[in-house]
Amino acid sequence: MSYNDNGEVKNKNNPKEDFSSHELGKDHVEAPKYSCALGGAYGTALGVYGLVPLLHAGLGCGLGQLFGQLYAGGQNAGGPVGGTSTATTGLVEEHVIFGGEDKLRKLINASNEVYEGDGFVVISGCIPALIGDDVDAVIREYQNDIPIFHINAPGFNGNSYEGYELFFEALIDQILTPLPTKKGVVNILGVVPYQHIFWKGELLTIKKLLENIGLKPNIIFTEANGFEKLKNLPAAEYNIVLSTWNGHRTAKKLEEKFGIPSITFPSVPLGPKQTSHFLRTVGKKLDISPDKVENFIKEEERRSYRFIEYSGDALLIVRPHSYFAVVADSNTAIAINKFLVNEMGYLPDIIQLTDNPPEEYREEIIKALSEDLTSTIKPEVVFEVDSHLAREKLKDRPFQFLFASSIEANSAPELGALHVTVAFPSYNRIVLTDSYAGYDGGLRLIEDYISTFAGPL
Amino acid sequence: MSKRKQIAIYGKGGIGKSTTTSNLSAALSDIGYSVMQVGCDPKNDSTNSLRGGKPIPTVMDTLRSGSNDFEKVIHEGYNGILCVEAGGPEPGVGCAGRGIIAAIELLDNNGIIDDYDPDIVIYDVLGDVVCGGFAIPIRQGLAEQIYTVTSSDYMAIYAVNNLFKGILKYSGSGGGLLGGIIGNSIKSLAEKEMIEDFSHKTDSEVIQYVPRSPTVTKCELEGKTTIEGDPDSEQAEVYRELARKVINNQKKFIPKPFDADDLNNWGSTWVSRILLHQKTSSQGIQDDGSGV
Repeated sequence: MSYNDNGEVKNKNNPKEDFSSHELGKDHVEAPKYSCALGGAYGTALGVYGLVPLLHAGLGCGLGQLFGQLYAGGQNAGGPVGGTSTATTGLVEEHVIFGGEDKLRKLINASNEVYEGDGFVVISGCIPALIGDDVDAVIREYQNDIPIFHINAPGFNGNSYEGYELFFEALIDQILTPLPTKKGVVNILGVVPYQHIFWKGELLTIKKLLENIGLKPNIIFTEANGFEKLKNLPAAEYNIVLSTWNGHRTAKKLEEKFGIPSITFPSVPLGPKQTSHFLRTVGKKLDISPDKVENFIKEEERRSYRFIEYSGDALLIVRPHSYFAVVADSNTAIAINKFLVNEMGYLPDIIQLTDNPPEEYREEIIKALSEDLTSTIKPEVVFEVDSHLAREKLKDRPFQFLFASSIEANSAPELGALHVTVAFPSYNRIVLTDSYAGYDGGLRLIEDYISTFAGPL
Repeated sequence: MSKRKQIAIYGKGGIGKSTTTSNLSAALSDIGYSVMQVGCDPKNDSTNSLRGGKPIPTVMDTLRSGSNDFEKVIHEGYNGILCVEAGGPEPGVGCAGRGIIAAIELLDNNGIIDDYDPDIVIYDVLGDVVCGGFAIPIRQGLAEQIYTVTSSDYMAIYAVNNLFKGILKYSGSGGGLLGGIIGNSIKSLAEKEMIEDFSHKTDSEVIQYVPRSPTVTKCELEGKTTIEGDPDSEQAEVYRELARKVINNQKKFIPKPFDADDLNNWGSTWVSRILLHQKTSSQGIQDDGSGV
């Protein structure tokens, strides 16, 4: 194997001499940082407490997601109905040839006896899609008796982020009905369970922040009555989308079907500046008294900046104005980049985005990474799904800190950098309630990266 | 016979493929060869006319029942011909292509064909090469020669052209090559000429023309091949001649299929010619020369 000047692999079997790794139809990708559409839909379903996912998929698909989606999402197990507790049709050759519909009926009947859930979601993988199982017809047989819906999520349809959208699209089409709008209720979208490894902490932080200015956020995931939360989506005044591209299709569909407009931010806010901007924007849109918003912001900023000062000596004496690199999904990269540049005085070197966003969103993502920065130095932004090529592109660069996934952790010493796991996959960092969201999120990020060089005694 | 001959017969559905195949098997058996016919069609009716019109349990039925006793899938038909049906799912469910792959793998891996050691194995394969499953007999040289049954119907020839694309695709990797075209249901000289011209244009050859005959239908309704039901008929002799040719045929063509547009142009020229021929013959007018 050989490489061109950009560190991209030259493939002698490929008539096209050089090729960029983010092009669709690329010959191969090494260790992409996501699972398949089924994995994304499954992870999203597991984030809704009370919803029971049933996999209508090949034997091994569920277990593959346990390792590839759940453990990779911050060493998280699947919970009471996830991982090895998830029921699956486990399709084998017999079902490929004769169809898997009967097996699915048996699975739903048995699951209805065994699980204590508020609702079921059947997630279909590659095999039913290829052989043309009429899963929707099977689901219709049950819909009068049990709350159940179907996500058609063949793995080949896309990656985990696609699975998140498929989850909501199926829900909106099959379960949701119009509800009267409730004042102050907002839906939080764009944070993909397991795939955004800090999803739990991020959503809970956003919830507390918005409650503090008098709103009633519906964060759906991690809430005790998750299926009810799903059904309440149409009652919201606004969708708040915390991503340049995740959750956008869902928000658009909620707008088309229930007339709910959206407010979009490029990421979950990280640190005082982003969080205060977030609260002011939301407060204005939802007619919250500016005093209420400003009083809260003032108190939170006072506290968080006072706390940041405690790190001041370690920061200024040991690693001031350091260059940093990021290898992460767009949401994470945008938030970290803005915080480190605008609040810590750090210098952006290279930012590699691993989430393969559709072409039409890429310009917006580049803007979010390079505009409104207090540094005169702008980051080099690369869309790179291939972990090997991402590693090659990190060589011979000035950065001292590497905010990336656990895949990059082992390369950090040879690159002369200090590594913090901030993105999927996170096999070397268990994430329960941690996150970099909100005012405290900035403090948490400082704790994490300064701890990489502080000490040892 | 020292080496077993394995051939596959393809063609558009309803073109008389199974009828031709069963008559070929019966004729080969009459000549003295031991024959196995494997029906590769979820309809599992390839070998019906070798078994008094009665269907047999399929390889897929055995798989479905959870049994590993694949001996049960071989059934003796007319004159000791070994009949096997791959079988498959009900129409509209599951994946018939995977069914064919699984059935052939099971026959192959369990040494069933070796146990019976027939001189000739004939695979009768469903219609067009619609997916990888139906290309299995072509791939990996499972069948050394591929024959195709066609009438002069344009869509039947279209299916043959698709088959040629399949053969061409696998020709570089040890796949089966074309043995020849069998022209079926031939009613006129023009129809014969059309198939002949197609074979020239695609670097292939017609091995035999089988005329349209009510004898075939009559025997089939009795659950028999023409060889069994009316062995002294002219039609039976046509099938025996086909059998002798197939046995002696060592030719292996790599066909040159038409592009879709070229095939269309070629087809429209011939279809108008055949229509004109039909018109002139039905109106009792001379079909050649300047008499019109």
